[in-house]
Amino acid sequence: MIDAKQNPRARYELLIPIFALVLISACAVGQQWSENYALLDGAKSTDPLIIDGDYTTIGQTQFGFNSRIYNLDNHPPSEAVVLLPEEKKIYRVVINTTNMQEFKLMARNKDGKWKEIYDQRSNKNKKIDVRFNPPATTDAIKLIVHKTSDDAAQKRKNLKVERENHVAPDGTVRRGQMVYKILGPLKAPAKIAEIELYGFAEKSTN
Amino acid sequence: MKTKIQTYSFNNTIITNILVLVSICLLFNGCAALQEAQQRRDQRLKERRNTDQLLLKRTDATITIHPKPLKGAPLGESDHYTFTFADDLHHHEDFDDAEKRSAFARSALTYMESLYSAMYDIFGFKPKQKIHIKLHHLLNGSRNRAQTTSSSGYIFRNGEITKNITDIEMDFPLSMYQSHGTRVHELTHAFTNIYAFPVWFSEGIAVLMQTEYANDNSHPKFDDLDQNLRVNQNGINMLEGWRGHGDHHAGPNITQWRYRYAYTIVTELRKFYGKDFYLRVFELMDEDLLYKKIFGRMSTSIVVYYFSKAAGEDLVPFFKKLQFDIRKLEKEDILQQIEKQKEMIRRQQ
Repeated sequence: MIDAKQNPRARYELLIPIFALVLISACAVGQQWSENYALLDGAKSTDPLIIDGDYTTIGQTQFGFNSRIYNLDNHPPSEAVVLLPEEKKIYRVVINTTNMQEFKLMARNKDGKWKEIYDQRSNKNKKIDVRFNPPATTDAIKLIVHKTSDDAAQKRKNLKVERENHVAPDGTVRRGQMVYKILGPLKAPAKIAEIELYGFAEKSTN
Repeated sequence: MKTKIQTYSFNNTIITNILVLVSICLLFNGCAALQEAQQRRDQRLKERRNTDQLLLKRTDATITIHPKPLKGAPLGESDHYTFTFADDLHHHEDFDDAEKRSAFARSALTYMESLYSAMYDIFGFKPKQKIHIKLHHLLNGSRNRAQTTSSSGYIFRNGEITKNITDIEMDFPLSMYQSHGTRVHELTHAFTNIYAFPVWFSEGIAVLMQTEYANDNSHPKFDDLDQNLRVNQNGINMLEGWRGHGDHHAGPNITQWRYRYAYTIVTELRKFYGKDFYLRVFELMDEDLLYKKIFGRMSTSIVVYYFSKAAGEDLVPFFKKLQFDIRKLEKEDILQQIEKQKEMIRRQQ
């Protein structure tokens, strides 16, 4: 056992690890978020409004290729993709949205395959802030939206139930069966002001 | 004996040198092969990295919004567009005040400017005029029909006719504007209408962009051109005589068939003659500028003349087999047609 009172040198030796701890924690506290990678030159998106750095322009997710948004029994998700000019380590994704409720985030790996990195089943926030540790090392992020707060209104607007009566040649009307009439998409896209992607700033402020 | 040993030693040296040289060659070849393999792998990865979706860069265009414009004036203006709300949208719950309309117009112009840059990258040319976007609740009573109208003007100077586009208007019902594929389709018209193609080719190339660039499969390709051919009572392919968006007499089945069949022809030719086939066609048209001298729309025979030049072989038999009413033309024939048109116009004057 070291007796610091009897051995002044031991006192300094004890201080070294304390200083080291303070230094490390100071570095961690001083670690800053990088610039928003979605605003890098050459970044692309399915909707450029979600990566234009302007919170007043509102973009949308899109229903995919061959998607059956008119189908009563199918509920395909809508998507948005942000493609970066180069691979980055993503520690944080911020999504500014007015109606997104249920969604997943995917990151593309080096083989071009999408891997799920986050799944949220309910949301009421307008600013969704997701942190990753370990980070997602990727050049593309895909947002898959399963539910928005506008879905029900969209369905009410575009799905009508009407009786299909038959008119006989003599003018008499025979009551027909009830039919669904689909006037437009039954799901709403997510409305997104910005998707922001962050890593850590390369240089420490200390 | 001594000579024998010397010969052996000499041979040994030669063999060693040859082996060293061969090894060096193999090493260099190996490096080159490795480099090639690496390049191929990088290319494959790069191709795989391109998603199958339409991806757009953000724009740096200048966008100006006039929240309360004068009657008839646009609400928004950008480098390549103006944006107006039709009167029937002023009562729509999403656009019933100036603030809502202004926010929507800013977003719409920002998106359309990004799309404009992407289309310009693809085509290599762009319209000279601003495109006037007008958003409607219903367009001619329909919410399923968008249209792009390019007005042409003719200048008669020194006995020559020159055609110019004077105005481009894109009309979207709100529900159609929300489809990215429709925006790509209509913007393709805005870019290519200067050539005044026959309607079937104009629509075919617009659906090609909508389907293969914007991944909107509203007009799926037919598996077989021969089996799905439809002809009119004169035995002529029903694509001929198509008057475009305004052709209401055709009925929805024929119209849908026309979009699909026109797209199938256009995409099959592109598949066979290469991805830059239509860019070569546009280049050839811009070389002789005859499209500027043709009164009205180009005939299919003239378009096929350029197709054949771009393909490097006569495509008249292909189109005849599909029952198009065409004949093989040479440049002199087209010039003669232009002269005849000019003569007719002179007589009318």
